[in-house]
Amino acid sequence: MKRRFPALVAGVAVLALAACGSGGNGSDPTDAGTGSGAGTQYEGETLTVWIMEGTNPDASAFFDGVAEDFTAQTGAELDVQFQPWAGAHDKFVTSIAGGTVPDVAEVGTTWTTEFAEIGALADLTDRIDEAGLSDDLVEGLVEAGTFDGGLYGMPWYAGVRSIIYNTELFEAAGITEPPTSWDELIAAVDALKASNPDVIPFPIAGDSQFGVFPFVWGAGGDIATEADGTWTATLDSPEAIEGLEYYTGLALEHGSSTAAASTWNEADALQAFIQGNVGMIVAGNWTVGRIAADAPDMAETIGAFPIPTRDGGVAGSFLGGSHLGIFNESPNQDLAWEFVNLMTTGDDATAWAEESGYFPGQASALEAYVASDDPLVAPFAQQMLEGGRSVPVTGLYGQIQGAKTVEAMLQNILTERSTVEEAATEAVTVMNEIFSSGS
Amino acid sequence: MRRKGALPAIGRTLGVIAVLVFALFPAYWMISTAVDTDAARRGAALVPTAFTLSHFERVLDDGGFALFLRNSAIVAVGTVVVSALVALLAAVAVARFTFSFRKAMLVLILLVQMVPLEALVIPLFLQARNLQMLNSLLGLTIVYVAFSLPFAVWMLRGFVAAVPKEVEEAAYVDGASWGRMFRSILLPLVAPGVVATSVFSFITAWNEFIFALTFLQDADKYTVAVGLQRFFGQNTADWGAVMAASTLITLPVVVFFVIIQRRLASGLSAGAVKG
Amino acid sequence: MSTTGSVRVAPGVSRGPGDHAPRRPPPWRRASRPWLLLAPTLVILGVLLLWPLARVVNLSFQEYGLRQLASGETNYVALDNYREILGSEYLWTVVLPNTVGFAVACVVLTVGLGTLVALFLNMLGTVWRSVCSTAIMVAWAVPAITGTYVWVWLFDPLNGLVANVLSSLGVIDPGTVNWFADRFGFYSIATLNVVHHGFPFVAITILAGLMTVPVELYEAAIMDGANAWRRFWQITVPMLKPIFAVVTILSTIWDFKVFTQIYLMPGGNGGNAEVFNLGVWSYIQSFAQGKYGMGSAIAVLLTGILLVITVVYMRTLFKEEDR
Repeated sequence: MKRRFPALVAGVAVLALAACGSGGNGSDPTDAGTGSGAGTQYEGETLTVWIMEGTNPDASAFFDGVAEDFTAQTGAELDVQFQPWAGAHDKFVTSIAGGTVPDVAEVGTTWTTEFAEIGALADLTDRIDEAGLSDDLVEGLVEAGTFDGGLYGMPWYAGVRSIIYNTELFEAAGITEPPTSWDELIAAVDALKASNPDVIPFPIAGDSQFGVFPFVWGAGGDIATEADGTWTATLDSPEAIEGLEYYTGLALEHGSSTAAASTWNEADALQAFIQGNVGMIVAGNWTVGRIAADAPDMAETIGAFPIPTRDGGVAGSFLGGSHLGIFNESPNQDLAWEFVNLMTTGDDATAWAEESGYFPGQASALEAYVASDDPLVAPFAQQMLEGGRSVPVTGLYGQIQGAKTVEAMLQNILTERSTVEEAATEAVTVMNEIFSSGS
Repeated sequence: MRRKGALPAIGRTLGVIAVLVFALFPAYWMISTAVDTDAARRGAALVPTAFTLSHFERVLDDGGFALFLRNSAIVAVGTVVVSALVALLAAVAVARFTFSFRKAMLVLILLVQMVPLEALVIPLFLQARNLQMLNSLLGLTIVYVAFSLPFAVWMLRGFVAAVPKEVEEAAYVDGASWGRMFRSILLPLVAPGVVATSVFSFITAWNEFIFALTFLQDADKYTVAVGLQRFFGQNTADWGAVMAASTLITLPVVVFFVIIQRRLASGLSAGAVKG
Repeated sequence: MSTTGSVRVAPGVSRGPGDHAPRRPPPWRRASRPWLLLAPTLVILGVLLLWPLARVVNLSFQEYGLRQLASGETNYVALDNYREILGSEYLWTVVLPNTVGFAVACVVLTVGLGTLVALFLNMLGTVWRSVCSTAIMVAWAVPAITGTYVWVWLFDPLNGLVANVLSSLGVIDPGTVNWFADRFGFYSIATLNVVHHGFPFVAITILAGLMTVPVELYEAAIMDGANAWRRFWQITVPMLKPIFAVVTILSTIWDFKVFTQIYLMPGGNGGNAEVFNLGVWSYIQSFAQGKYGMGSAIAVLLTGILLVITVVYMRTLFKEEDR
């Protein structure tokens, strides 16, 4: 579909932004320091916070503890409302339109710039600088939350995808060392297939964009590049095509997958994996906890290794997670920052990461994980530290995700409706249309 | 009441089996997964591996489902009562009176059913905000009344129209007022229609998700449909809990129906259908 | 219908020769009564649905994104959205055929199956009728989201029951087919799901209607030697015409705008644009892509199509009713 925004729109948007920036942000961050330290400064006030459901299995107990700390520190009450992921974006959008946003919300990293662009979120750069935190944040999360030079989301927790595998099936196939290059990955697929034809060695999930990106990056390709503020899709570059061909070729040429997987999303792939008949899948570090809950006996027989690049090395992998954002409409900007600060630094931040199985958003706290010798932590930490990447940091990429452009491309290739080149060209066309609509 | 049975007994038995299997299979799957110890790994197994109530415990304890069930019950019962009353009045108007714009009214009432609800989310949200209806179960009830009204009016119009005018006229001949005729003649005769409509309104209010999610700001006001979504993570799903929650959502609707079914029968015997 | 009235006597109302003439209200009260009866409905619908609907129409003439939504500004582009939709090949070759084909199949099957089941239930004794109608209610009561997941599981190309049975029969080789990726396969499963979820409404409603048909009519017809087929067409159908009409109209409206059952199926949430219907397309344009104006225009288009269908239905319906 063709779509051209007249130049006027951009102008209006800038005005709107400017209006929001000055009007909505009631308090000046620089006077935040004057009263800090007093434990009852905000007595009688209540801070409303939205937290996404399902990240931490025991989130309500966690936040009971946080609420106590928060009240002790500020005197204010904390009102945490858990939101289900399904429909969460719709809920944010209606609340922004209706002016019924909370003070603080957990915002998925891919939504932060989208909400920042329309003036809904407050710029936290000055507050973070003042608190002396700016040098100690996980880089990928900073990148994902940055819009127009400002940081609109405080890094809270991070997650990354690597490959988890079934150690029993690997042993049966005589694979002793996890693959560290593309050739070794193919060899592992072949060995799994040869040892037991009923095993699905490596299903290629068609409805998962974050499964394919590591292979595009691992071949030296990229999703899109930016020049002078304009993004250009590059999924049709020779490197990207090579990555796409390799990844889908695992399914189409090496029989690593199954026809059903062409419409699977990550949850479906995980579901198949815990049936015990799947060799390995691309999966996030948080799935380890899910497996322990759903299939406790299996938790003993899984391993993980970083997604390799073509020639050996750790491939780029999407660094996801969440920011804590403060809404411009919140009348309690300073109090909101107190909460954000409490959540993202110190004990509460590490406790959250531990309980939820994610990585903390503070670089110093992350170091402990990298040094870990836990075989289900270290590979993910390595992937994150050496390979953590962002998708194009622009609200427009949210539209591309909404349109499921990458997933549609994958499904077209996997069901052999199109060749890799055709599908990539089509995806690039769609992406460039969306990119150009914003400039 | 004696019904004419043209089918031989064997055909009837087979028919009953077919209806039961077709109607109940998904529900069977839902319930049997809800009590399966290994719910996430069930695959194609027709029978669960082992029996457990732990999924239900989790849903009720951690999920806070008891509260959601209560909220949904308030909203659903409110919707049923209000929409049945309001719709019955309107149905009588369009089925029994001739007035200008009657057909236009009928189309207009139906028109609002034609809009995809998803497109209404934002405009209706803004409207509800202006009317101070956000974050309240009463506000949500009124919205659901609006959703079920077009259906209810049309449905009851059919039932009212199916009552022969002669019956009413007989009442007038006997000197009954319109109000009396309405209460003692029309109402019992359309009772089965009211029942069918109530079931619909109940289910509409009980299962609606996106408006409940966006309108309600406090999580302790959420309804069961929102509660169900808590068991779907961003990239994972807790199937045992999802199916247990679904079972808890389904049960009250069936109970509501079983209760109201008796009224359907009594509505019949009170009505004038027996010679 | 005049043949039926004479046999009915309302209970509690005596009919004696000495009764006086009906008490009729004055003309102005008769004229205002329908409006009084309609007033609550019109107020609720007007405020809560018609006004927002007008806003949807208004949005459809704008290029309206998240920015406009957040700032509340307007951005009119006249008919651009409509021009783009109606000019796109995608609408004519994919979305519209999907929507119409799917809706027609669902309406025919839902009303057909629902009627059959209702007739069947009407033949049963009280106990089995209650058992069966309760079972049918269960099918209706299962949340659409759960029902959809169950059907998707049932048809899982790898581990599902259907694939297992077919492969043990040697019809397919599991792992080589994926019917969700195929437009026809996708919609066949969606149709099964929607019919399963929709037939209880038709069955229960028509059963309720059947129970208001006086037994004497059938007894008289049997005495006249009419068989079951003739009794159905000569008594049941004419008596229940208003109910059939409403069931068909409402099913048509619902089946044209099915959303949840498509959106939750593999590929239905955007990955496979081949399987969108108008409702899903509108939602994806609005909420996933942030093009609220475009999404609204698609919604208005869908509403327009339904309006035309309904008016045609009603023409036929009222022609007969008004005689």
